This record gives sequence, C-alpha cells and structure tokens, in this order.
Amino acid sequence: MNSSQIVILPITIPLAGAFIILLLRAWKKWQGRIALIFIFSSLVSSIWLLYRVWRSGGAVVYQLGGWIAPVGITLVADYLAAFTVLMSQLVLFFGVIYAIGAKDKNIEYPTFFPLFLTLGVGLTGAFLSGDVFNLFVFAELLVISGTILTSISDDRYGVEAAYKYFYISLLASAFLLLAIGSLYISYGSLNMADLAMRIQANPSKPLLPFAIALLTATFMVKSAVFPFHFWQPDFHSAAPTAVSAMLSSIVVKLGVYGFLRMTTLLFVNQSDELKLLLIGLGIIGVIFGGLSAIGTHNAKRMLAYSTLAQIGFILIGIGWGTALSIVAALVFIFNHSLIKAAMLMLAGSVASRTNVKSAAFEIVTGVGRYMPFAGALFFIGSLALAGIPPTNGFINKYLIFESGININAFLAVLLLALGGMLTLIYTMRAFQKIWWHPYPNGEQVKATGDRLIAPTLLILLVIGLGLWAQPLIQISQITSIWLQDPINYIEAVLGSSIAQGFGGN
Amino acid sequence: MELLTAIAIGILFAIGIFQMLRRNAIRSAIGLIILSNAINLFLLSTGDFQGIQPAYVDTAVELRSDALPQALVLTAIVISMGGIAFVLSTLIVISSRYKTSDLDEIDGLKN
Repeated sequence: MNSSQIVILPITIPLAGAFIILLLRAWKKWQGRIALIFIFSSLVSSIWLLYRVWRSGGAVVYQLGGWIAPVGITLVADYLAAFTVLMSQLVLFFGVIYAIGAKDKNIEYPTFFPLFLTLGVGLTGAFLSGDVFNLFVFAELLVISGTILTSISDDRYGVEAAYKYFYISLLASAFLLLAIGSLYISYGSLNMADLAMRIQANPSKPLLPFAIALLTATFMVKSAVFPFHFWQPDFHSAAPTAVSAMLSSIVVKLGVYGFLRMTTLLFVNQSDELKLLLIGLGIIGVIFGGLSAIGTHNAKRMLAYSTLAQIGFILIGIGWGTALSIVAALVFIFNHSLIKAAMLMLAGSVASRTNVKSAAFEIVTGVGRYMPFAGALFFIGSLALAGIPPTNGFINKYLIFESGININAFLAVLLLALGGMLTLIYTMRAFQKIWWHPYPNGEQVKATGDRLIAPTLLILLVIGLGLWAQPLIQISQITSIWLQDPINYIEAVLGSSIAQGFGGN
Repeated sequence: MELLTAIAIGILFAIGIFQMLRRNAIRSAIGLIILSNAINLFLLSTGDFQGIQPAYVDTAVELRSDALPQALVLTAIVISMGGIAFVLSTLIVISSRYKTSDLDEIDGLKN
C-alpha cells in the first residue's frame, strides 16, 4: 500500500459503512452498532493520519489515480486539515453513540445511520480536498445528508426548517459555483495550491474581487455568520438531537475552515478587507448571538444562537491573523465542538423525557428534578461555554483575550468580554429553569429518556482538556506556524521545484 | 456569439432571481431551477466561448475546447438535479400540510 493512501481512509471508511448499513435495513438493531464500528475505525485512521502528518513535518498528499497535481484531484492532509478531520470524526463518534441510545422515532428509519455516515464523509472530504471543485462536491454531500436527516425529524417543523435551509444552501452553492467559474476563467486552475501561486503571480485579474466576495458569502452561509444566520436557529433546533449536535458543532466549522484557507492560502495578499470584515462580523455575532440566546424560549434554540456567538469569537481570531490568534481560533474550533455537542445532547435528553419531546422552557421546566446527573453535566458544560477555569472553554477564551491584548485591540476585547458574560446569563437561566424550578403537577415525566453515555464522555473530555491542555495547544501552535507561510502548503502539493517560482511574502 | 451567450446567461440570471423572490413557493422553486441553469451555462462558457469546438475527441483539429468545464458542468448538473428534486418533494409535504403555496401563510416556524 502506498503510504500516502492513508489520506483517503477517513473518507472511504464511513462511505463503505453507509452502503453496508443500507443493506442491513432488515436488522435495525445492528445498523447502529455497525455504524459505531465504522466511525470508530475512521476515528482511529484520522488519529493515525494526524500522527503521520506530524511525523512528516507538514503534509501528507495523495494524488488520486496517480494524476500529479495540478492536473488530477489532490487530497491534502496538512496540519489544519488533519486537525479538523480528527475533531469532526471524534464528535461524529459520540454522535453515533448518542443516536444508538436515543428514543427518537427517526432513528428507526433504515436510512438514518447511512445518512449520518455520509454527513461525516462530506465533512471529512471537504476538509481534505485540495481542489476547490472537489470541496463543492463534498460540501453538497454534507448539506444534502444534513437536510434529509432534519426533514425526517420527530419535530413537527422539521420539514419546513429543512426546506428553508436547503433553499438558502442551494443559493450558497450557486455562489460557490460562480466563484469557481470566475477563478477558473481567470487563472485556469482549480487546485488550491496552484491557484494560490497563480493569484500571487497576477493579482490584477478583473474577476478576482468578485470571486473573493462570492467565496466569502458562501462560507458565511455555511457557518451562519451574522447577516446570513437566519436559517440556523430553526434548522439546528428542529433537527433530531443526535444530528443537531453535529450540525451546531462540527458542520458550521466548514465555513470557518474556508475562511482560514482563504486568509492563509488562497488570497494572502488580498485578504486585508476580508480580515477586517471578519473582525466586525465576529463582534456583531458575539453580541447579537448572546442577546438572541437570552431572548429565546427553547433550550435547543438557545444553544443554536449560542453557536452564532461562539463562531464570532473564532472569526475574530482568524481576522486578527497573528500567530497567537490563529492558535486561539484553532483551540476554540476544537473545544467549542466538544462543548456544544455535549450541551445539545443534554438539552435533547431532557426533552426526550417529556411527552411532546420539545425543549421549550415551558415544557421542560422542572424536568431536571428527575435527572440530577444530567444537571451536573449541564452545569459543567455551561461553565465551559462561558469559559470558567477547570474546563477547556477557559483555555480558548484566555488565548483569544491574550492575542487581542497583544495587538492592543482593547475595544474588541472589551466587547468580547461583555459577550462572554452574556453566555453565563443564558446558560445559567436555562440551568435554573430546568433543574431548580419545581415540576408542575399534571403530566408525568417519562421514566427513561435518551442515554447519557455520549454527553458524559464529552464532558469528561471537556474537563480533561481543561486540566491538560498542553497537547492541544501544541498541535495548534504547530498548525499556526505552518499556516503563516502559504509556501509550505504549495511546496507540499506541487513539489519544491515548481514552488520556487513563487514570490513569497 | 460571445456576446449572445453573455446576454442569454444574463437574462436567465435576471429571470431566475426575479422568480426566486416571488411569494409563491412553486414559482420560487422554478426560479431556483432557472438560476442553477444560468450558473451551469456560465460554468460551461468558462471553457469555450464559441460553443462549436469539441473537446479532446479529434486530435487532428487544431482548435479544441477545454474539457474540464464540461466535466465540471456535468457534476454540477447532477448535483443541482438532486437538490431540486429534494426541494420539490419537501414542497409537496409542506404545501399539503398548509393547503397553500403562499410563503406568507407557511408560518409554522415563526412561533
């Protein structure tokens, strides 16, 4: 086996799993367990991939079919891609565990687990793809799987939320296709490394600003940044819990990943305005997301708005663009995925105890009396979301504030601190309503709900990464150094002889 | 020919966007179909402006059109077809639930 073929494993293992599980539709009990085996082996392969990337000191590149870049399709696992792939596989693994223990009706659908795995395929493929068009294809796979999973939700409004999201998302893919067309007509290449080189060599093509604007819009829709966020709370709160935990934690990171690639590889010299835009929208997102989360009447919806705020923090880290702020953004990306997945799973398991399966506050008030363990987990998760010490949330908030103070962006840091305090208000309010208020007499709380294994393990990871954050920070630091100079990526993909013609910064 | 293609694609874009902004859900779905066709034509035109040269089929011909956009368009057509099929099928579910296709009356998510 060609040693660089490892790059394709995190894509092919879940894809093979999806087909095999589809054949097992008569044995519903086994579907989930086999999905777990597949997602676990793909998690192992992505850990191995990150190790291989680390050993090779840069990137493992696989040219599909032996067609050397820039002609063929290239899969590039550099530090950033391997890091995000590991994050998404980890959260998907816990998502499958949660789905197996969930009481939802939609888990019974024979296509639930295959679609769950293709969601992972789309996300992993988009992260690993070294080609803009390939990224589009995988992103579409991701969107279609996520939308279908939402439209079969137990929630009455699942179909409407899915329609709304899919409509917006088709528009976003239209933007992406237009951007791809404009880049191709201007530079005659779609390989990201080759494109970066050609854009550097000739940045005055008339369609370039157009392409940058369209790509920005696409990634803003993908990660629900402020003006394009309106689909997100509906979509994330109507999805089945196991799915909404994925959508709100790892799927929104695709847009963030796109912004990182845009500012550090494709448009390094053209991204000053983009960075300014990201800082502005990030601050608006933090304040607006926090205030909207305070104003909601539904625990899942509150967490969906909270994602808006947390993505704001990450965008500011990318927008500042210093080595330290990129480290902060990367640590934030990883930690937020774990925290948000755990919180949504807890909110979902509280909702699963009620008869109507809604996380609206008037329905779940007092339900927590019957599940004190979930309350402890939710409390730790709230601390992590707000960034209070023994948890990993503290590490990433601290890094963001430190990187802001280092470049004297005091006003932004002040606004971020205010936004961070809003987090504490809304999570504690939800905690109070669900766990402190007495349960109103009348309907009975169900004796069993969704199993708490997955959120328990996630919260253990949250505490673990808070107490021993060194490995995560180290890998983020290496990634940040790697991202500082686009020549690293270009050399890894195209070979050093071609990359010598690159002007550098 | 170049100008004609450009104008045709522009008109398709205009019609698609206008239809998408309509209140009727079915009209807006049709707008989406027109828009995705306009984008596919735009993608195709990045490879060959004339529309008469074939791709790499005949090596004797000096002028060949770029084959890559044609491959891209093929992929994009398949994806947009799948997407539009899904949009229309969810539209059937929604409009039968609300007994209308007026987007202002489909307001379940507002509460």
